[in-house]
Amino acid sequence: MQHIIEMVGVSKIYPGGCVALRDINVKIEKGEFVFLVGPTGAGKSTFLKLLFREELPTRGQIFINGKNITRLKPKEVPYLRRRLGVVFQDFRLLPQKTVYENVAFAMEVIEASPREIRRRVPKVIEMVGLSHKMNSRPHELSGGEQQRAALARALVNNPDVIIADEPTGNLDPDTSWEIMKLLDEINKKGTTLIVATHAKELVDAMKKRVLQLEDGRLVRDEERGVYRCET
Amino acid sequence: MDDWSETKREGFTAVKLRTIRYFFKEAFVNLFRNGWMSLASIGAVASALIIFGSFLMISINFDYIAKNVESQVEITAYVEDSVDKLKINQIELGIKSIDGVKEVVFVSKEQALEEFKKQVGEELLEGIENPLPNSFRVKVETPQEVAGVAERIQKIDGIEEVKYGKGVVEKLFKITYWMRLVGLAVMAIFAAISVFIISNTIRITVFSRRREISIMKYIGATDWFVRWPFLIEGMMLGFTGSLIAIALLAAGYSYLYDMVKLNVPMIPLLHLEEFYDYSLGLLLMGTFLGAFGSGFSMRRFLRV
Repeated sequence: MQHIIEMVGVSKIYPGGCVALRDINVKIEKGEFVFLVGPTGAGKSTFLKLLFREELPTRGQIFINGKNITRLKPKEVPYLRRRLGVVFQDFRLLPQKTVYENVAFAMEVIEASPREIRRRVPKVIEMVGLSHKMNSRPHELSGGEQQRAALARALVNNPDVIIADEPTGNLDPDTSWEIMKLLDEINKKGTTLIVATHAKELVDAMKKRVLQLEDGRLVRDEERGVYRCET
Repeated sequence: MDDWSETKREGFTAVKLRTIRYFFKEAFVNLFRNGWMSLASIGAVASALIIFGSFLMISINFDYIAKNVESQVEITAYVEDSVDKLKINQIELGIKSIDGVKEVVFVSKEQALEEFKKQVGEELLEGIENPLPNSFRVKVETPQEVAGVAERIQKIDGIEEVKYGKGVVEKLFKITYWMRLVGLAVMAIFAAISVFIISNTIRITVFSRRREISIMKYIGATDWFVRWPFLIEGMMLGFTGSLIAIALLAAGYSYLYDMVKLNVPMIPLLHLEEFYDYSLGLLLMGTFLGAFGSGFSMRRFLRV
């Protein structure tokens, strides 16, 4: 079986000697839903940054869809990122653009045709349940709605994997739960999901695979796991 | 398989056109968003090019004048008024026998007056008795021989005075040389200033949009997709600046040209049209300065 993501002996040491990840070996299969947990500074963000090539590992190899992304030329990096959808804690929507425009922007950037954009954008916005706010700007939306819009943007180019860094970090518990359910729905449609989070209750309730990082080491890899971090 | 790649290629060109439109739209939006900085940049490019352009125009004109004078380097030998026709023929033969003399032309009093009238204008000389002497115009084989030949003509009996414009030519060439040097130096300084101001303007745009740029890069935009709008913005700043410079230079030059022609008509000056080719050069230079300035400030921000 082809793994969609595979890390082999990956270490990351930042200039200055700070060790963020030590000898990580992970295989993630297509269609999996994986939580990445651990205390702040354990290396979760670095883990994700390595996946979309914001950082290069100091040692080790990373494969996405069988392709070694540590060997990509800078010119090829954009095309890797088009296969990945990224979601952040702070949403990172463009404030002067409406929800529709924000989502469409992701397609304009990869030079999709206008017909394709007009066809696809409303569909995705409907998928995340934001059709009624399509023409609102980010400041007119609640946090949960903003994250839905960000999710729509991550989804619109049909990525193989969605990478979410603390997607519920700025949201209240009810809204967080809604976003998680939405992520679960997206996952059930076949997209692989990697979600870094601190939200203990959500992880416990979702019963997904859990990767736990501590001090740069992968200390636990458990199917249908729980958070169990602060012990 | 073949069909697929065919449609793909077609789609590609269509996409490119639309993308170019997007680049220009973005560039224009940025241009107006930081209007004051844009104006400052345009002003900097314009002043750099105006200064360079004026030095260029002056030095080209000096060159032109120098060449003009050089091609006219000939010895004028004035004949004493008392000398008669026969003696004049003898003198002509005498001059022709000097080594290095290429051509001798006799200019009578009347011819000299006609020429002078043409230069100065008929009205001025109305009713005045012809004060000009008979003369010979002597051309030599090489400019270096002028001094020697002139000396020997001077010795011929019946020659009142010998004139030649040698030193003037050398002086003019020296002046054009220095003009060019100073012009280039001043231009280099101003070019550096305009690159600095433009790169700061672009930096402000880039900085105010760094969030957008980083989002674009996360979504999978290529570096050039991010870069083009800023490059175009810089090029438009440079282009506009050079247009202004060219307009002002043209206006200034034609004003000065008219002034000189009116007051000192003997000085040969190039007509404005002679500078059309140069204005294209200035336009390219301004646009390049703009592109360079914006490229300069872009590099750092693309590292995401």
